[in-house]
Amino acid sequence: MYGYIIRRLWQMIPTLLGVILLVFILFNWVGGDPAYVLAGKISSAEQIANIRKQLGVDQPYYVQLGIFIRQVVTADFGASWSTNEPVSHILVTRLGPSMTLLVPWLILSTLISIGLALAVAYVRGSLTDRAVMISCTVGLSISILVYIIVFQYVFAYKLGWFPVQGWGDSFWENLVVYSSLPILILLVVSIAPDLRLFRTFMLDEINQDYVRTARAKGLSENRIMWVHVLRNASIPIITQVMATLPGLLIGAFLVERFFSIPGIGREVILAVERSDFPVIKAITVYVAVATMIFNLLADLMYKAVDPRVQLK
Amino acid sequence: MGQGADASKVIRHVFPASETGFDPAGSQDYYSGTIEQVIFETLLTYDYLARPAKLVPLVAETMPEVSDNGQTYTVRIKKGIYFTPDPAFKGAKRELVAADFIYSLKRLIDPKLRSPWAWLVEGKILGLDELAEAAKESGKFNYDAKIPGLEAPDRYTLRIRLKQTDYNLAYVLAHEPTSAVAREVIERYADEGGRAMSNPVGTGPYLLKEWVRASKIVLEANPGFRGFVWDFQPGSDVEDRRIVAAMKGKKMPQVGRIEISIIEEDQARLLAFEQGELDIMNMEAPLAPMVLDGDKLKPAFVRRGVKLSRFIDPEITYTYWNMQDPVVGGMAKEKIALRRAMAMAFSVEEDIRIVRSGQAIEAQYPIPAGVVGYDPNYRTRVKFDPAAANALLDRFGYKTGADGFRTLPDGKPLVIKYTSRPDTLGRQQDELWAKAFALIGIRMEVQKLRFPDQIKAEKECKIMMRTASWIADYPDADNFMQLLYSKNIHQNNSACATIPEYDRLYEQSVRMPSSAERDRLYHEMARIIEAYAPWRLDISRYRNMLTQPWVLGYKKHPILQSEWQYIDVEPAPKGG
Repeated sequence: MYGYIIRRLWQMIPTLLGVILLVFILFNWVGGDPAYVLAGKISSAEQIANIRKQLGVDQPYYVQLGIFIRQVVTADFGASWSTNEPVSHILVTRLGPSMTLLVPWLILSTLISIGLALAVAYVRGSLTDRAVMISCTVGLSISILVYIIVFQYVFAYKLGWFPVQGWGDSFWENLVVYSSLPILILLVVSIAPDLRLFRTFMLDEINQDYVRTARAKGLSENRIMWVHVLRNASIPIITQVMATLPGLLIGAFLVERFFSIPGIGREVILAVERSDFPVIKAITVYVAVATMIFNLLADLMYKAVDPRVQLK
Repeated sequence: MGQGADASKVIRHVFPASETGFDPAGSQDYYSGTIEQVIFETLLTYDYLARPAKLVPLVAETMPEVSDNGQTYTVRIKKGIYFTPDPAFKGAKRELVAADFIYSLKRLIDPKLRSPWAWLVEGKILGLDELAEAAKESGKFNYDAKIPGLEAPDRYTLRIRLKQTDYNLAYVLAHEPTSAVAREVIERYADEGGRAMSNPVGTGPYLLKEWVRASKIVLEANPGFRGFVWDFQPGSDVEDRRIVAAMKGKKMPQVGRIEISIIEEDQARLLAFEQGELDIMNMEAPLAPMVLDGDKLKPAFVRRGVKLSRFIDPEITYTYWNMQDPVVGGMAKEKIALRRAMAMAFSVEEDIRIVRSGQAIEAQYPIPAGVVGYDPNYRTRVKFDPAAANALLDRFGYKTGADGFRTLPDGKPLVIKYTSRPDTLGRQQDELWAKAFALIGIRMEVQKLRFPDQIKAEKECKIMMRTASWIADYPDADNFMQLLYSKNIHQNNSACATIPEYDRLYEQSVRMPSSAERDRLYHEMARIIEAYAPWRLDISRYRNMLTQPWVLGYKKHPILQSEWQYIDVEPAPKGG
């Protein structure tokens, strides 16, 4: 097991180098020259050259790439080009609001999707099953932007059940008051595709011989569904959930923008708008690292869920 | 809490874009500047109600004494103004003195800071450029060096000596990048780039209480602020008299706390305002159809007592052609004819109606309303006239080919490349210009560039044609007329124009104070723009500020970015 983990960690290095190279090439190709924005409305060629020098973008590409690699190794991405705020501070302060929003959403979304998937799989082919599937298809066809605009208008503005936007100082206020509507929207958006997917996983298992055997042995339907079927369907569910986790690091930028939540998703948009390469670099690298780590964790969880899985 | 301020009085404001930080020399965005204007103080400011904008002393005792034919400015600073207490002062009360302004002005040109405001002082003050050059060589700016251009004959007197006549320096001294900062504070909190973006310590009416970057900014009245009595004279605007009646004689600031939210999305901003979560908001043009009937508030808003403060922003939007471009540039007659024809094919009326939701007027003059030098009676000779445009092109040999598109006089294909940003406004502008080009049979291509790439290409004179905007840094015509001065190519002369007649007149104008004689020169320059068509003047936009009924004394100033220190709020229940 430990050998497997070490081997997987070791394999992350070339992957990370690939990510670094890709980000570097992409930024230098399409990222724009920040010096022209930072120089202000009235600026001379000399001032722009001075800014380029201070940012280090006048250095040969191999030097800039070397600096990037050093930043990744030391986890010190310097300061934002537009605000001079240390990148580490930006990430730490923005991560909290994003997590306040996304962790409860992920937990609720997963639990509700699993519960509903088990239920509709159990009554597969029935009117309820078909109605739920049609609802999911309709739900999937609507953009998150529509949900945001409609929900914000109806539930926050017209009905006044939630604040239209905002973010407070206390965790509980943020979770209960300001995150409720955004979480509700994210749930509506995410449950439809997850439910369809998880239902398929459940149906694959329900038709297996062991389910028939369990029924023949007289086990209750609840035990069959919640213990046997769920356990066997959990490997693809774990894969799906783990694939979602790195997304937490880049937040839910649309929801964060519409509800003025100072999360990392808004910061990503700002960084792109401002060609703020240090911030873009840091977030991209951290998401890449998180993706690899969550993939590894998913593999380890397969083993925990199903001892028959061999880690090689 | 400030002397007159009431902690229970709160104003909730909104910014549609995020701030970057609060160092007057370091930040360049409008919203950071708005905050800086109430934390820091400049020597001069603007009268709150006077229109057009009128300079008045702020921390200066009187307006500057201008001598030596506009080359020496002497300003006396009020005694007894103190910075907000800060650990940087080690427990001592720190008075504002002339040396603080010398330090603050020097910071603008310190190469390490790479201030976006260097142009305010660069090439102007005796000895300052040399100091910056020395810093580039040594790597360290010598703030202790004495220079003839910035002197403090005594503790409260600042003398600025210029390299040449400049009657606009007073405007620079009212611009927030020239606000006084304390050297001890900067040296204590500055980052590697020499900027103290997170620790603003000034002498102004408010101080930074809480800041969640790009989300929330909370200001509280500065308890050490000297205060002032509200005593502004009403102008011709009817609303002014109501404002004076509500505010006259009050000790200011009245509002104890300002809460600013950053809400990027139009819908969220408007709903939050309607819900009573905001007291003041700037209504961007896309929201106008939901709130306004023409230039008036819709009845639903009027019934709720919402107030509208509306005026023409001191800005112009114009389309330029690159005068160095081989297709559209140059001073040859056929090139001038081509540019004039394109200018005549564009419908400003459609731009206002479709793109700007009616929230703009046609710009007649390169100097917009509210700016010294503006002439409300001037009328541009460039009109929407596709027939005349086609006739002009026919006359100068731009023949229509078999494919229906015109060619150059030498028979080569004529393709105009219009550059715009990859956003909604950019797409709308593409469509309007495509329609204009269709009217005169010219093939058009659209080049999409992101903002940084656009600026870079523009400064390198590589854009053939683009629609750009310019908002006043200070309310004097020079700020606009310099946009076509040939020595500003690669800086802000986006058209990369060299028009000797224009240059000659501009050089005369910069040596003059505001006067009828200078206005006459500006008239001539405006006609030159129309004749050679490096630009097609487009529009000036309205600014629409909405306030809740309980906000008193609010009137948006065309130049000042924050008005919180001049307004009051009724202690009425909010919400709903």
